[in-house]
Amino acid sequence: MSIPKLEFPPFHLPPEAEALRGEVRAFLKETLPAIKTEDRFASWNTASPDFSKALGRRGWIGITWPKQYGGGERSFLDRYVVTEELLGNGAPAGSHWVADRQSGPLLLRFGSEEQRQAILPRITRGECYFSIGMSEPDSGSDLASVRTRAEPVPGGFRVNGTKVWTSGAHRNHYCITLVRTSGQREDRHKGLSQLLVDLKTPGITIRPIINLAGRHDWNEVTFSDCFIPESCLIGNEGDGWLQVTSELAFERSGPERFMQNFYVLRELVRVLGRQPAKRAGAILGRLVARLWTLRQMSVAVAGMMQGGKSPAIEASLVKDLGTIYQQDLPEIARTLAESDATTEDDMADFLDIAQYATMMAPSYTIQGGTTQVLRGIVARGLGLR
Amino acid sequence: MDRETRDMLLDTAGRFFTERCGKEIVNGVEKGIWPADFWKEIEEMGLPLTAVPEDKGGVGGTLADLMAVLRLAGGHAVPVPLAETALAAMLVAAAGGTPKPGPAALALGPLAMAGGRLTGKVERVPFAGPAERFVAIADGMLVVVARANARVTLAPSHAGEPYGTVVFENAPAEFAARSAVTVERARELGALARAMQMAGAADKILATTVEYSKQRVQFGRPISTFQAIQHMLAELASCVAATIASAEAAARDADEGGLADGGSFSIAAAKTQASDFAQRIAALSHQSMGAMGFTHEHILHHYTRRLWVWRRDFGSESFWGEKIGAAVAKAGPPALWPALTESRYAS
Repeated sequence: MSIPKLEFPPFHLPPEAEALRGEVRAFLKETLPAIKTEDRFASWNTASPDFSKALGRRGWIGITWPKQYGGGERSFLDRYVVTEELLGNGAPAGSHWVADRQSGPLLLRFGSEEQRQAILPRITRGECYFSIGMSEPDSGSDLASVRTRAEPVPGGFRVNGTKVWTSGAHRNHYCITLVRTSGQREDRHKGLSQLLVDLKTPGITIRPIINLAGRHDWNEVTFSDCFIPESCLIGNEGDGWLQVTSELAFERSGPERFMQNFYVLRELVRVLGRQPAKRAGAILGRLVARLWTLRQMSVAVAGMMQGGKSPAIEASLVKDLGTIYQQDLPEIARTLAESDATTEDDMADFLDIAQYATMMAPSYTIQGGTTQVLRGIVARGLGLR
Repeated sequence: MDRETRDMLLDTAGRFFTERCGKEIVNGVEKGIWPADFWKEIEEMGLPLTAVPEDKGGVGGTLADLMAVLRLAGGHAVPVPLAETALAAMLVAAAGGTPKPGPAALALGPLAMAGGRLTGKVERVPFAGPAERFVAIADGMLVVVARANARVTLAPSHAGEPYGTVVFENAPAEFAARSAVTVERARELGALARAMQMAGAADKILATTVEYSKQRVQFGRPISTFQAIQHMLAELASCVAATIASAEAAARDADEGGLADGGSFSIAAAKTQASDFAQRIAALSHQSMGAMGFTHEHILHHYTRRLWVWRRDFGSESFWGEKIGAAVAKAGPPALWPALTESRYAS
C-alpha cells in the first residue's frame, strides 16, 4: 500500500523569529489602543491605513523582500510570526494584508523591474493596497473559465468584463486582474494573463456588493473599454494560469485560515469566568486543543516552505480543517455561553458576538478555495484522481 | 539514538510487525490467546527497552525514539503491552532499578504505600491479563508488584484486549524506590503513548480505506472515482493528518522538555485532539468501506476499535480537555494567546 505520507514534521520557529515576536507584541500593545476601526473585533480584513502605516514604519510589511524594494530580507518564518501576532492580538491589518501576502510576492517573482520599483516600496510603507481580481459572475471555483477580455491594442490592452467579490476595491489602489488575452473561454488555462490594474483607471466602475451581515467588503468591478498600458502586464502574456496558482499557495497556507475569529475563543474565556464547571472547562479545552493542533500544522507548513518545499496538499488540509474549526467555534461557544456564562449580561453580550461570528462564518469555507475545491486537491494527492 | 539508527530500528521493527503481527495474532488475543512467541521475539528485538539506558541493559534510546516505535506498533494493531512495558521499564530505570523481562502493566490510580506494601484498587488497567508485574506510583514511590501478589479481574476492552481491574492488598513490592515522576506525569506519558499509537492506527485506516476504494468496483468503476467518496477520503485524510501532527509535536515537546514534565500541555492537547477525531476517523472509514469494513473478517476493525478504546485510555478528551480549559479559564483571556504560542498551560 503506498499513499503519499501526510506528514507535518514538528517545527520550531527559530530564536530570531521568537525574539521578533516580543517586539511585535510590545508594538501592538502600544499602538492598538490608539487605532480606531469600525469593527468591535478587528481582524485581518478590518482596514486601517493608520495601522498599516505604523506597521510599515517598523519594517514589518514585506519583511522577506529584498532591501532594494524596501523589504527586510528576513525569513519567511519571521513573517509568519508577525502575521500570527497580528491575528492573535486582533490588529486591523486589512489594508495591507493582501499586498503583503500575495500581490507583492507575485510582483517580486514575475513583475518587471519597473513594476517592482514603482510598487513594492510603497507596499512596505503601508501606503499601497491591493485587491484580488480573480472571480467573475460565471467563474468562481472554475477560475480557468474567466471571460474578462484584454484585447491587445497599440501600447497596451483594451479590457472589457466584470470581476466580482473583489474585496476592498473601493479602498485599495490596485487590483491584480486575471484576464484572457488570447483564445476562447474553452481554451481554459491557455491564453490567460495577469494585469496590474490601477483602480482609478478610466473605464472602471466599482459598485458595492453588500454581504449578508450588511457589510461592504466586496465589490463588483466592471471594465468597459478600459485601456491598460503594456507596462502593466505582469510576467509573460499567456502565463496567467501558472502565476495565479502560485499566488493561491500564499493565499491558502496562512494562519488567517484558523485565526480569523480568535476573538470568539478569547471572549468565551471571559464569559465563562475563572472557575468554569467541569463540562464547560472540557469543551473549552477541546477548542483550545484543536486550535493548538492547527497551529502546529501551520507552523510545520511554514517550516516546509522555508525549507524550499511547496506543500500545496498540506496547505489545503490546514485550510480545510481551519475553516471548519472557525465555523464550529461560534456555535459551540454560543451554546456553552447560554449554559455557563457567569452573568446574564455577559451572556447576552457574548451571544451577540457569537451570532455575528456565525453570520460571517459561511465565507470562510468559500473564500480562497472552497472546501470542495480543497478536498479535490487532497483527493488528487491521495492518488484518487 | 541518531536519526539513522532510529530509522534502522523502525525499518526492522516495521518488517517484523508486517510479517509476524498478522490477523491471526490480533484475533487470537481477542479470543484470549496470549501470543507468547510473538512477545518473546519483541523482547529479543529489545523494543520494550527502547528508552532504557544501555547501562541498565537497554537500547539507550530517548523517549522520542520509543514514541516513534509506538506509532509504528499502533499502525500494526500490535496486541501486546509494548507501550505499557516500555514505559514501565523506563520508569523503573529512572528510579534506579533494572527492568526485568516479561510483559508489564501500568497501574495508575489511588494507591497507598504503608510499611513497604501497596494497597488500593485500579480499574481498567490495560493488559492486566498477561502482565507479569504491575508498576505503580504511590506516595512518591515507584513500586513494582509481582502478579502473584495482586488480584486481577479481567474485563477485556472493546477492542478485545485483556484489560482488567487490579487490587493490591498489602502487596509486597518486588522493587520500590523514589519515583522520578509523579503519578500524574506517568498518566501523561501513557496518554502520549496512546496518542502516538492512535496516530499509527489512523494512518493505517487511511491507507486501508484509500486502497479499498481503488479496488472496489460499483456501477462499473472503482468507487475512488466518485466525487462523494473522494471528498470523504479527503476529510478522513485531514483528520488523520491532524492526529499525526499533534501527536508528533507532543512527542517532540515531551522529549525536549525532559522526563519530569516536558511537553505537559502538548501531550494534553494531542491526546484531546486524537480522542476527539477518533470517532470521525472511524465513521468516515467505515462509511467508505461499506459492509465489508463492518465484518470481523476484515482488518479495519482492528484499528477503528482500538481508536475507540485508546481515546479513553490514560485520560479521554474530556479529562485532558478539562485540564486545559481549567488552566485557560483560571489565567483569563490575555494569557490564552501567549500560552498557545508557547505550547504550555495558560498561567
